[in-house]
Amino acid sequence: MQANQIMLSNIETIPGSTIIQSLGVVSGSTVRAKHIGKDILAGFKNIIGGELKAYTELLQEARAEAMSRMVIDAGQRGANAVVNVRFATSSVAGGAAELFAYGTAVIVE
Amino acid sequence: MVETGLIIYLVIGSITASPFIYSMLFANKYQRNLFSKLFQREQTFLVEFGKDSLQTTKNPIPQRPIHSSGMVMANITIGPSWWQMWLAQIYTIFGGNIKVFDQLLAYARQEVMQRLREQAQADGWDDVLNVRIETSAIMQKTGGSKNNKTGTMELFAYGTGIK
Repeated sequence: MQANQIMLSNIETIPGSTIIQSLGVVSGSTVRAKHIGKDILAGFKNIIGGELKAYTELLQEARAEAMSRMVIDAGQRGANAVVNVRFATSSVAGGAAELFAYGTAVIVE
Repeated sequence: MVETGLIIYLVIGSITASPFIYSMLFANKYQRNLFSKLFQREQTFLVEFGKDSLQTTKNPIPQRPIHSSGMVMANITIGPSWWQMWLAQIYTIFGGNIKVFDQLLAYARQEVMQRLREQAQADGWDDVLNVRIETSAIMQKTGGSKNNKTGTMELFAYGTGIK
C-alpha cells in the first residue's frame, strides 16, 4: 500500500527534502460516537473529574481514521508527501464528534 | 405517617446527593494526585532524555541537518468534576478568574505535552518541531438533558518529529 510511504509533516516542507510539485488540498473526515454504555461510564467518571479514557480513545481512533482517509486521497493523486497537515474538531450532535484532517499533497525529492 | 414520609424523603435525597458529596470530598484529592504523578513523570523524562524535545519553531534550534521526519500526535479528554462544575456556575455570577478550571486545564495541557514527548521518544525522534496545541469542547449535550457532560474538553497536541 502506498499509504506507508507517504510522509506527513505539519511544517510547510518535509525537512531535508525539496518540494517539486503541488497536487492540491487533500482531506479526510469522520464522524464518530461512542457506545452508550461507555457514555454512561464516562458520566460516572465525571463525578470526580479528570481524564475520560473512553473519549480519549475514541478521538484517537477517529483521528487515525481521518488521517488514513487523507493519506489515501493523497496516494490516489500520486503524491509522496502531505505537508502542512492541520486538524479540526467539532461536535455535530450530542455524543458525536467530527474529526477533520487536511493538508497539501506534494511530490518531494 | 409524617415520619415515614420524612424517612423516604431522606433516603431519596441521600441517594441523589451522594455522588455530589463524593465529588466534593474526593475530586480535589484525586486531581492533585494526578498532578503530582505527572510532575514526577516530567522530571524523570527530563533526566533520562536530557532535554525538552518540544519546539514551536519551524527550524530546529540550534540549526542542524535533518535526516528524516514524521508526524507525532497526542491527545487527552478531560472533564471537570460535578463539584467543580457547580463551583464554576457560582463563579460565573460574579465573573473573574475561575480557579478550578484553571487548574484542570493547566493539568491537561501539561499532560498532553508530556504524552507528546513520550510518543516522540517512542517513535525515535530527537526533536519535535512546530508543536501546536488545540483545545476543543466536545460531546456537548443538545437539549435540556440533566446528564451534564458539557464540561468535556479535548486537548490535542501535534508536531513534526525529526532526527
